[in-house]
Amino acid sequence: MQRTTTIGRIVRWILLLLVGLFFLFPIFWVLLMSFQTNAQILRIPPSLFFEPTLENYAALISGRLETAAGTLEISFMRNLWNSVILSSSSVLLALVLGVPAAYAFARFRFRLGEDIAFTLLSFRFAPPLLVLLPLALYFQTIGLNDTYIGLIWVYQLIVLPLILWIVRGYFEDISPDIEHAYRVDGHSWIRTFTRIAIPLARPGIAAAALLAFIFAWNNFIFALILASADKQPVTVGALAFVTASGIQYGQIAAAVVLSVTPTLLLALYAQRYLVEGLSLGAVKG
Amino acid sequence: MATRAGEMATTPRRRSARHNLLPYLLSLPALLVCIGILIPFFTAVWYSLQRYNLALPFTRAFIWFDNYKEFLSDARFWNTVQVSLLYTFLTVGIELLLGLGIAMLLRRATLLNNIMSVALMLPLMIAPAIASLMWKLMTNPNFGILSYLVSLVGLENFKWASDPSTALLTVVLVDVWVYTPFMMVLLLAGLRALPPQPFEAAELDGVPASFVFFRITLPMLTPYIITASLFRMLDSIQQFDIIYAMTQGGPGDTLLVFQVAAYLEFFQYTNVGRSAALLMVLWAITFVLSNLFIKQWLRLRERARGAA
Amino acid sequence: MSYLTLDGVKKSFRKEEVLSGVSLGVERGETVVVFGTSGAGKTVLLRLIAGMYEPDEGDIRIGSESVVGVGPEARDVGMAFQNFALYPHMPAFENIASPLRARRRPEDEIRRRVHRIAGLLRIDHVLHHLPRALSNGQKQRTALARSLVSGPSVLLLDDPLRNVDAKLRYEMRLELPRVLRDFEATVIYVTQDYKEAMALGDRIAVLIDGRFAQVAPPAAIYREPASMAIARLFGDPTINLYPCRPSANGEGVGVELFGSRFALPPACEEAAGRDCLIGLRPEHLQIGMERSEGAVPVELDAVTPLNVRAVLLLKTQAGEEVLASCSEADALRFPRGHRAVWARPAMETALLFDRESGERIGPRRH
Repeated sequence: MQRTTTIGRIVRWILLLLVGLFFLFPIFWVLLMSFQTNAQILRIPPSLFFEPTLENYAALISGRLETAAGTLEISFMRNLWNSVILSSSSVLLALVLGVPAAYAFARFRFRLGEDIAFTLLSFRFAPPLLVLLPLALYFQTIGLNDTYIGLIWVYQLIVLPLILWIVRGYFEDISPDIEHAYRVDGHSWIRTFTRIAIPLARPGIAAAALLAFIFAWNNFIFALILASADKQPVTVGALAFVTASGIQYGQIAAAVVLSVTPTLLLALYAQRYLVEGLSLGAVKG
Repeated sequence: MATRAGEMATTPRRRSARHNLLPYLLSLPALLVCIGILIPFFTAVWYSLQRYNLALPFTRAFIWFDNYKEFLSDARFWNTVQVSLLYTFLTVGIELLLGLGIAMLLRRATLLNNIMSVALMLPLMIAPAIASLMWKLMTNPNFGILSYLVSLVGLENFKWASDPSTALLTVVLVDVWVYTPFMMVLLLAGLRALPPQPFEAAELDGVPASFVFFRITLPMLTPYIITASLFRMLDSIQQFDIIYAMTQGGPGDTLLVFQVAAYLEFFQYTNVGRSAALLMVLWAITFVLSNLFIKQWLRLRERARGAA
Repeated sequence: MSYLTLDGVKKSFRKEEVLSGVSLGVERGETVVVFGTSGAGKTVLLRLIAGMYEPDEGDIRIGSESVVGVGPEARDVGMAFQNFALYPHMPAFENIASPLRARRRPEDEIRRRVHRIAGLLRIDHVLHHLPRALSNGQKQRTALARSLVSGPSVLLLDDPLRNVDAKLRYEMRLELPRVLRDFEATVIYVTQDYKEAMALGDRIAVLIDGRFAQVAPPAAIYREPASMAIARLFGDPTINLYPCRPSANGEGVGVELFGSRFALPPACEEAAGRDCLIGLRPEHLQIGMERSEGAVPVELDAVTPLNVRAVLLLKTQAGEEVLASCSEADALRFPRGHRAVWARPAMETALLFDRESGERIGPRRH
């Protein structure tokens, strides 16, 4: 690996450039489009230089679009808000449900625990429609269809296994003797859990929460089936956007940008933990 | 001077509550979620054994495995199987090769490489449905930058996802764009976790690079490769978001992979029984694959925990 | 009545029996050293007393109450762990204060007591540091301070000097008994080092094969070990052992050894006629240049200095290896390369063990 010939280095640079171009260009291009008017977008050949405009974002944020055909109501901001509510609530719930369970699985070896952990893991890989379609029918009868609560409950299918398996690993990494010492000092197991286990596992809990948030935010199929227009998150909302008539392409691009910015920022913030999170703790970053 | 020993007991010494119950209490909520998953699952199994169409409620009947038997002679079913397998094979194959290549390029932990590896992770953080939307914008025949670029090399009127002959390629392209970073991230972590000694020794001995790659690097990377590939296979064979967002399964039936077909079967043809049966077939495939995967993944996890 | 009582305690892990019936009574204010080789079960025993594990069978009593089934936080024990087990996210002060906070002591009392014990153990200048900023010696003393600060009924020390450098170990070996006496603590101290055991213990409980093979003051363990295994564990270099068969003749009991017949004290008469192993500690062999009464000719193979003593490796005419030790000064008397010397075993110190069971059968005392 120390053998770096000049040709080798040039080739490497070129390859890296091509790779970077391939993966980052679409993001860049759509970002550009979001600052263009329809006229600029439709211009051939497309050019990198133009006068940017904020009218796309203004239209989305204000919720109104003035066109030649009249004023159009856009509810994209509502979609954004739905995404925020659904993602944060489901992650919060998953933390409340999952962190104590992860502790139980890490510290106690009990048959039921292994079974639960494995069921949750195995359904992470099962086709979601298998659970969603019957659930859609059930929800209609129970009346949970198209409710935040129903959706947050269903989102647990995505976020809970993640939290469970990542946080469990962090709890397992804490030397049991530290907790024993705290108990011997005279503290109850609850205090040991809150004052020792959780603080020492905090990086893992944060990492799991961030990653779970990203996955919840990016979810499409759950909301597609179980949410109707006013509860839809941005993933479904953006698509509905496209099929609605009279929408300008620049706004579609702007909607895309608004949809992906939160997760991109979070990913950059939590980059250290991404490897471990993505592999559910199988590979250490 | 010091406290006499035993003066300051904490609480009166009493038998503590049976803390055997504690783990069960802590995991009770998780258990509830489990049950919340298993009930619909078994319902789906139940439905798959019925002739059940929401639009024709009076024809609902228990028909055991007839749904499955019908699949065997149904051209649409085999089309679904074929498209799904082809999609899986293409995406996982390309992503593996590409991901491995990029990981090799970024192997050394230099500042540039680290920045690159973070930057390259971004497509993975975008919702696949939105990614499809982005590529839809770029491949629009009227203003899409890719349509324009492709026309420059002579391919006028390239229809991308609207054309049956290129639709699969287009969605594979989107999938590769979104998920290659996943491969890259895992393989890069694996590469960096490899012990340096065999490579140092090979360098001292003047071993050629290709030999090092094929006989040293690859064999040591195999567990990561297998784990990552199985992970991606599991995702690809049940891919919904990308394909649905791009074409809803069209044009025609060119992109009717399992979950898309099942979705349409349910919502468009209201055929609950058939939809459930299709999903059960898919589930069987993923069940086998996920068992293989979990074994590999646990092994990798033990290794990571052991080294920590 | 003893302050800490273990009564037939048994504990198994995964089908393997680690403790097979351990009984011990510890008096208030006494220091009992639990000594054994690694894996013998010493740490398990400590954890049973602390409450981290529950015994499969048997009882554990502190004061007069049984503590079986009582959680660690209610047992009023203090424990210092081998790997310190300090709380990494709290400064040393908070680590030490932890037992006092659990007992809800007022702030000023906590501050007073933590500073006092930190001063006693000479770590008061690092109290504000996190554990990762402390040296091993400081970590060990922090762990010790934490275990002592609340004046617990029973103090459990799990080989605290193991992970500490030699100089500090030596210092602590002198300091610890003083500190422990100041606190009037009832202490169970676990170690694998026999010298530490002999220096620190009022009594030593030797743990072999899941049982206490002998519980006695250090001198008794050394001079009257209950079995060959115990005799081997105490003493450096290890005790010399040779198969023999004492026999009685007109003049009393005697034994054939190194080609000569030696007389044994009358207290050994029970060993007569049995297959035995005779044990002679290296310091009980007198090595000299000239022949003397009761000495046999041996060949000096090697001299190894060991601290202020020297270890001599000798070979008898029959080829048996003998280890003897003498002071450095004495060792210097032997001219370089000199081979032929004389060894006189002090038979009054000889120990006789049954060859099959390993039990000591001679000499009988009181």
